[in-house]
Amino acid sequence: MLGKRDRPVAPARADELADVVLEDADGREVRLGSLWEERPVVLVFLRHYG
Amino acid sequence: MQLHRDRDAFAKAGVELVVIGQGTPRNAQAFKDDHGLDLRLLVDPKRVTYRAVGAKKASVGELLGPRVVLRGLRAAASERVVQGRTIGHPAQLGGVLVVAPGGEVVWAHLANDAGDNPPNEQVLAAARAATEAA
Repeated sequence: MLGKRDRPVAPARADELADVVLEDADGREVRLGSLWEERPVVLVFLRHYG
Repeated sequence: MQLHRDRDAFAKAGVELVVIGQGTPRNAQAFKDDHGLDLRLLVDPKRVTYRAVGAKKASVGELLGPRVVLRGLRAAASERVVQGRTIGHPAQLGGVLVVAPGGEVVWAHLANDAGDNPPNEQVLAAARAATEAA
């Protein structure tokens, strides 16, 4: 098991994200898998707003 | 947000830049307005996606250690931005993933501490490579 100080490792595939549905800033729902159906996408996970 | 500065370069590279944050759609809209951001911003108040990609929750030292604070000050000076009020889990760290059609994660950088952000050039190079391979 990884300790807290170990560098985090990203998954090799985004399958677990594909069916997640999130709202955008206007409250519209977006299925994440739709973002990379046609072309690559850069997903940026913010630490916080600010 | 540093990556927003190069959004045109990402568009030219043929990739969309999508940002995921904590909080509510209202928080996200306020963040976009405050920073003049013109990009797609999604909200994940339960941090489901953060867990799915393995984004780290920082220790106190990884949030406030001298190295982290120094990098934060340097970033604030170069970007002329000051960190605002924290919305969401304060120890949650972020990251960047480049996902290719088909779902392969072709490049990733998950933050190891609060000041650990990849250079835009590295992300852009990965995005260009993903477009060429697609």
